[in-house]
Amino acid sequence: MFESVQQLASGFTIATTFYNLFYCLIGAIVGTLIGVLPGIGPIAGIALLIPATFGLHPTSAIIMLAGIYYGAMYGGSTTSILLNVPGETASVITCIDGYQMAQKGRAGPALAICAIGSFIAGTIGLFGLVFLAPPLAEAALAFGPPEYFSLMVFGFIVLSNVTGTSLTKSLMMAIVGLIIGTIGLDPVTGDARFTFGSVSFLGGIEFVAVAIGLFGIAEVLTNVEKPLEMLEQRVIVPRLRELYPSLQDLKKSITPILRGTGIGFGVGLVPGPAPVIATYSSYMIERKISKHPEEFGKGAIEGVAGPESANNSASQSAFIPLFVLGIPFAPPTAILLGALLIHGVTPGPLLISQHPELFWGVIASMYIGNFILLILNLPFVPLFANILRIPKKILLPLIILFCITGQYTVNNSVFDIGIMLLFGALGFLMRKWAYEGAPLLLALVLGPRLEVAFRQSLMISHGDFGFFINRPISMVFLLATVLFLVIPLIRMTLKKQRRGEVKQ
Amino acid sequence: MAGGMVLFLFGAITALLSLRMPIGTFRMAGAGLFPLCLGILLMVLSGIFLLRFLLKKWQSVKKEEFPSEIPGSAMQVLFFMGTMILATFFFKILGYPLVSFLLMVALLRILGMKQWPFNISLSLITAIASYFLFVQWLKIPLPKGWIGL
Repeated sequence: MFESVQQLASGFTIATTFYNLFYCLIGAIVGTLIGVLPGIGPIAGIALLIPATFGLHPTSAIIMLAGIYYGAMYGGSTTSILLNVPGETASVITCIDGYQMAQKGRAGPALAICAIGSFIAGTIGLFGLVFLAPPLAEAALAFGPPEYFSLMVFGFIVLSNVTGTSLTKSLMMAIVGLIIGTIGLDPVTGDARFTFGSVSFLGGIEFVAVAIGLFGIAEVLTNVEKPLEMLEQRVIVPRLRELYPSLQDLKKSITPILRGTGIGFGVGLVPGPAPVIATYSSYMIERKISKHPEEFGKGAIEGVAGPESANNSASQSAFIPLFVLGIPFAPPTAILLGALLIHGVTPGPLLISQHPELFWGVIASMYIGNFILLILNLPFVPLFANILRIPKKILLPLIILFCITGQYTVNNSVFDIGIMLLFGALGFLMRKWAYEGAPLLLALVLGPRLEVAFRQSLMISHGDFGFFINRPISMVFLLATVLFLVIPLIRMTLKKQRRGEVKQ
Repeated sequence: MAGGMVLFLFGAITALLSLRMPIGTFRMAGAGLFPLCLGILLMVLSGIFLLRFLLKKWQSVKKEEFPSEIPGSAMQVLFFMGTMILATFFFKILGYPLVSFLLMVALLRILGMKQWPFNISLSLITAIASYFLFVQWLKIPLPKGWIGL
């Protein structure tokens, strides 16, 4: 433990250099903007800005990109409260009571509690990260190809189970992502697959293009489809002096903040869209244990404090599986994995020992970033709220221009812009047909690793599939996978039986 | 239903194309084995999905598959998409500054910005600002096209 504290102190010396502080600030500002502006979420936002980090040291690059991720979590609440439109999916729950508070003229305290709660959650989450990551990394050294394969399969199944409305649909999307991931050169034999003789396909499908297409272009197209008059909305802009919460507000919020932090941290460690599940769970728990559950939905401050803390805590702990196992459990961290690989850093159990400056520097920068965000999100909230006044009919073309320019800069390739547009159209149709993009993107990023782990395992075991069950850790993951597949089926059967009994 | 059929077809094509690659054995898998397994798995899952859908339909459980809360304008989306495709096509030929200007003019117009002076000035400001941001400040080599900027 003492060693972790020492390493964290060295991380602070790295994070507080002028350049790293600058990139942390840029990340926090851009992240807040991305969170505030509807039409572009953290996934497309991080993907868009990866090319801007090409000339940077990997540590500075990840400091900036991580800043965008947790900055978006802070900013997302602003639109939820002021507009009743979540800036990103993790802020959907905040709309319920946050907007009601704004309607009653209490937008200021709602925004302030969001920022304070997020700061407390981010701080506690970071300490969890510091003390949990090193021992977990040591434990992960025991992982071989079969363990990684089983863990990734477990991740896909859990993510598919918790995203969207149908497990089958989400699973199909994950498989489509895996298939797209096989395009290009075979990682083991070097054979060309699904390239149709084109050199452009040899390097595989650019994940940045898929991410921007599915989460950026598709979101814009969804907005464009709405009738023109629906594109504009009234914004409530709070004054600076209205921002301070009362002592009673703080008293009411402190335990939901702490509970939300705990829930978020735990949820962030398991596969799935952690911030979304964390906010939902926190809201449900707060409503259940509240002495005044009837106030929820009508502007209860606990309904804002708990979920907002939970989503920040979850976004911090989601870095643990990414850094320690090298396996992201959600799309934003999958994009960060891609960024790490582009910068020549392979996350995994050896990251802490091989790249201590990156690991501890990024962690320390998160703490600094949280502080920057607290400052940004309290006094500057009126400024961010004013940004929301930019009409969507101006904002949407601007987002498209940035998407096209950003995509081109990744490889200086017009072909990649075409791929991005293709996935944009696909994402738009997927939204209409209620298919989730998250499993597809995660599978695309993890696909090549999954295939290599699968084939290596079979090579080691001479083609024996029992190898996956004979290894204890792998068996645990596979058993958990089966449980996650079987439990919804049992639940569904029981529900049907109950319905049948009621009808009789 | 349409989504399920598209996915079934995608799985079938993947499996067929995989068969043209070396499959190998489980001990020494070839390039085609993994995508073949995925193609078959996708066919199975989409088959189950379609079967369940048809069964529900047969049991006359009426359920809206594609819920649409807002009456949308498909034409607007098509125009938007078409403009983006055109911009991509002319990206290298016309160059970044000109394409960004024309793209903004067209997209703003599609979204109902009907006053030409405002539309053109806003597009011009955006094109100039993005040119200075990306090309002059960030030194990103964007296509110059025939205007040579």
